[in-house]
Amino acid sequence: MQDTELLHEGLALMGLGMGFVFVFLTVLVISVTLMSKLIGRFQPAPVASPARGKSVKSSASKEADDEVLAVISAAVHRYRSSRRR
Amino acid sequence: MEKLITLWEGSGLYNLELGQAVMILVGLGLLYLAIYKKFEPLLLVPIGFGGILANIPEAGLAISALDQAIHVANPAVLQQMASTLGATLDPLASVEAWRETLVYLVNDGASPDQLRAARDVATNVGYSDGLLYVFYSLAITTGIAPLIIFMGVGAMTDFGPLLANPRTLFLGAAAQFGIFATVFGAVGMSAMGWMDFSINQAAAIGIIGGADGPTSIYVSSMLAPELLGAIAVAAYAYMALVPLIQPPIMRLLTTKKEREIAMTQLRPVSKLEKIVFPLLLLVLVALFLPDAAPLLGMFCFGNLMRECGVVERLTDTAQNALINIVTIVLGLAVGSKLMAESFLALETLGIMGLGIVAFGIGTSAGVLMAKLMNLVSRMPINPLIGAAGVSAVPMAARVANKVGLESNPHNFLLMHAMGPNVAGVIGSAVAAGVMIKYLG
Repeated sequence: MQDTELLHEGLALMGLGMGFVFVFLTVLVISVTLMSKLIGRFQPAPVASPARGKSVKSSASKEADDEVLAVISAAVHRYRSSRRR
Repeated sequence: MEKLITLWEGSGLYNLELGQAVMILVGLGLLYLAIYKKFEPLLLVPIGFGGILANIPEAGLAISALDQAIHVANPAVLQQMASTLGATLDPLASVEAWRETLVYLVNDGASPDQLRAARDVATNVGYSDGLLYVFYSLAITTGIAPLIIFMGVGAMTDFGPLLANPRTLFLGAAAQFGIFATVFGAVGMSAMGWMDFSINQAAAIGIIGGADGPTSIYVSSMLAPELLGAIAVAAYAYMALVPLIQPPIMRLLTTKKEREIAMTQLRPVSKLEKIVFPLLLLVLVALFLPDAAPLLGMFCFGNLMRECGVVERLTDTAQNALINIVTIVLGLAVGSKLMAESFLALETLGIMGLGIVAFGIGTSAGVLMAKLMNLVSRMPINPLIGAAGVSAVPMAARVANKVGLESNPHNFLLMHAMGPNVAGVIGSAVAAGVMIKYLG
């Protein structure tokens, strides 16, 4: 009958389509993971390197930090004392 | 007095048919939803207005020069067209009967050459294609408008969350089950004798479940152009309804404990990865599914422009000016398909019903897939983000975030949900490619 033929075709499309979507995205997951690993190996995390650089502070930047800290604490001190009045 | 009668017979009131009146009301209804209820206003305002324009009696904005001439031309021109079509008109019959004969000839009997000749006759006496008809043939028949919009979407998409956690692609795949289940549902309805959908039409209806406007329009323009108006309206209306449709399903399928699951912080993704990703996706499409190449190719192109960082002017145009222009043209063109003859049918109700089922099934499949992945993997996955696998960027991700916050006010899922969300875009484009390959 024509109706059952239509149903079969719908079922075939469902199986084939869902299967293909999953296969394609699985391949995509695998290749993305590989790609990330490769890039991580050959170009070790450029985002992380500046962060590491900061931890090894040079004396100049430390001095600057101290100065900023002093200015901030002075400002806070002055603000608090003005509020107290 | 004769002049007065001519004027009256040329007025809209005299010529208005019931169907057109209803369609004008439908257009006004769409405008109400868009303006007052804020339902996807960017699309529904042009679509609703286009729908009204298309149904103005006698104006013929949505029909070709040939149809226009058949509808309104004087008897001499009708005779001339009939002779180019290789037919003679019965001199005893009324002019109305002549018009009907010509409509029949144009739709069924005539060869392409004869049609071209008849068209030339119509344009020679001064009839031209309606504005909306031109927009439609320019933007949708060629498939250009949905593709350019896809490029703009690519230029707006950040694949960072997806790259940080590639497994969320599975959630985007699972949510596509809504599409295929609906295809089966539509076919089932025809088999039961409730509706009369062919397999092509069923596929075009199913793609509504992909929750992706441009993809739906692209697929239905290829597989079932006669249903395009209803499908586009259903797709955009339900995308606007995502915040209403999804949360009840999400709450039903998850326990409170599952909704509270906190996810681990995403790792930072390097710029190089983001540049390589669209190229990688393109290569995979080229290797496995060339039929999805128009959609995903433009998508990757837009995304590459965004991530490469050296063509900011192009990115800016793609995601702002260009996409806006195309949206106007696309909306009006879709509106031209809201003509009474094709829209006021039982099928439209069927499409609306199936569309919402498609959304529901897609959402559930995504959530259930996330629960399954939670069972097998060490890294915890909050099942709510599975619901974002139906594309609808970024609405579905926001919904997942909101439902998550209700259970645990410190649980921000937005970035995690963006992963499956953009995966859903890729998934529905792949599904579209499969359908076009299988049925096209």
